[in-house]
Amino acid sequence: MSALVLDALVAGRRARSGAGFRLPPLTAAFEAGQVVALIGPNGVGKTTLLKTLAGLLPPLGGHFERPRAVAWLPPPGAVSAGFSALHLAALGRAARRRWSPGLTPGDVEAARAALARLDVADLAERPFDRLSSGQQQLVLIARLFVQDAPVCLLDEPLALLDPAHAQAVERAIRALAAEGRIVVASSHHLPFAARADRVLAIGLDWIEASPAAQALAPNRVRALFGVETTGCPCCGQALS
Amino acid sequence: MDSLSAVRAWAAPLALALLAVAAAAVVLSTGPLAAPPDALITALFGEGPPDAELALALRGPRLLAAMGCGAALAGAGAGFQILFRNPLASPDLLGVTSGAGFGAALALLLGAGAVLVQGAAFAGGLATGAVAVACAALTRSGDGRLALILCGIVAGALASAGLGLVVIAAEPYSQLPSITYWLLGSFTRATAGEAALALVPVGFGAAILLGLGFRLDVLSLGDEQARSLGLRARPLRLMALGSAALMTSSAVSVAGIVGWIGLLAPHAARRMVGERAGRLIPASMALGALFALLIDRLSTAFGPAELPVGLLAAAVGAPAFLALFVATSRRA
Repeated sequence: MSALVLDALVAGRRARSGAGFRLPPLTAAFEAGQVVALIGPNGVGKTTLLKTLAGLLPPLGGHFERPRAVAWLPPPGAVSAGFSALHLAALGRAARRRWSPGLTPGDVEAARAALARLDVADLAERPFDRLSSGQQQLVLIARLFVQDAPVCLLDEPLALLDPAHAQAVERAIRALAAEGRIVVASSHHLPFAARADRVLAIGLDWIEASPAAQALAPNRVRALFGVETTGCPCCGQALS
Repeated sequence: MDSLSAVRAWAAPLALALLAVAAAAVVLSTGPLAAPPDALITALFGEGPPDAELALALRGPRLLAAMGCGAALAGAGAGFQILFRNPLASPDLLGVTSGAGFGAALALLLGAGAVLVQGAAFAGGLATGAVAVACAALTRSGDGRLALILCGIVAGALASAGLGLVVIAAEPYSQLPSITYWLLGSFTRATAGEAALALVPVGFGAAILLGLGFRLDVLSLGDEQARSLGLRARPLRLMALGSAALMTSSAVSVAGIVGWIGLLAPHAARRMVGERAGRLIPASMALGALFALLIDRLSTAFGPAELPVGLLAAAVGAPAFLALFVATSRRA
């Protein structure tokens, strides 16, 4: 079965000037079907860790095992494309077409089904650039269903979204995991983390994977963000 | 429904290509040495009337050169615009045009023959593009698109400086006019052999760009997206850049510096078929062929002295581009 196993993995960026940084070594194992929330203050290295897991950055130490195919999404608003939402979703199948210059009708059908599944079938023919951030995010998550990689890494999938779209995206994330994928998503929205199967918290000099209830205890939230709260530091919602 | 939209997807590029062929027939059946279309077709596929054979033999190469160069410049321009997600990208992006001009001028200065000039232009263009890509590879800025644009400007500027030196060194009464005339662009130079020689690399480059198809769309999302979608972004991007540079170089080596086609045709095509590479590139090539054909016809329309194609392309292309831009921005 596919799993994501990290063995003293050190993510970070190497730089000759002082701009480089290293995260503390992380040892953890994530099972298929889990939603893993990645939390921590800005600038602590959440994006760097996700890119390292996606294979976009080399690890600075340790190693990790993952399935060959890994899907990665940047934050909402980071992808720009002038062609239709349907075509963008169908591009999830790009790696399966070795030689043909076009996608197959089956790929387009899969994209249409994925859009319908997330209730955005009506956006299919609209240019992707003309959609709202929330609509774009749903289309990109539909592409994750089309791509069908066993590991999905999402950078701030809930940022910039209104509550209704945030709920829709969170449902979609849960659906991705329910089909046996590992979904790792960074977020500042702690209620999302509270509903996740595991929480990966990155502080200034520590990193820790634990169950949600443990990771979001008031003293842990204080250690992470330096604020005294019983709810989410961003929206005040209760965490249990 | 899907088969219908697939038909629609191919209908527009196909219609444009047929329009370009029809325009070629109209051009051959009007003007000097005119022959009726049916005579031209019989002459093309075997024995035709002598006047049609003569028209094909004398005007055919020039027509072929114009359409081939137009298609090459437009296809390369569309490729660059997709790869860089930048509507201002033109076939000259990597400095290829300036490099080809430098190569041709240098060969003319050294007194080379027509074939050698064409070869020098081709090599100069490709070399300049290679310098730009190599310089960009030295930098480490994001996914490298900005580095490529800047290094293209640098390589093009160096080639332009070299061209300036050649112009200064040239003999003012014999060599300078031929260099200047070459730089202004013309389709009249091409003999059948030279046109065919240039169309081989054009066809090769076009085949690669068309074969990349939807992968160009993935590359347009940036290297990180392309890699996370399971494509090998760098080699694919190099292939696409190389094909576009190959097409530009061979077009410039035949026609000299003809601007605007590579910028205008993709924009016009985008309005008709949208952004997808699989439709935009063939539609741009068809429109580019049509545009170059009409410009070439226009160059002979004002009396016995022909106007340089490069000048006409700019004089017609620039206002047309502006009109297109205004119309597109108002519709949006």
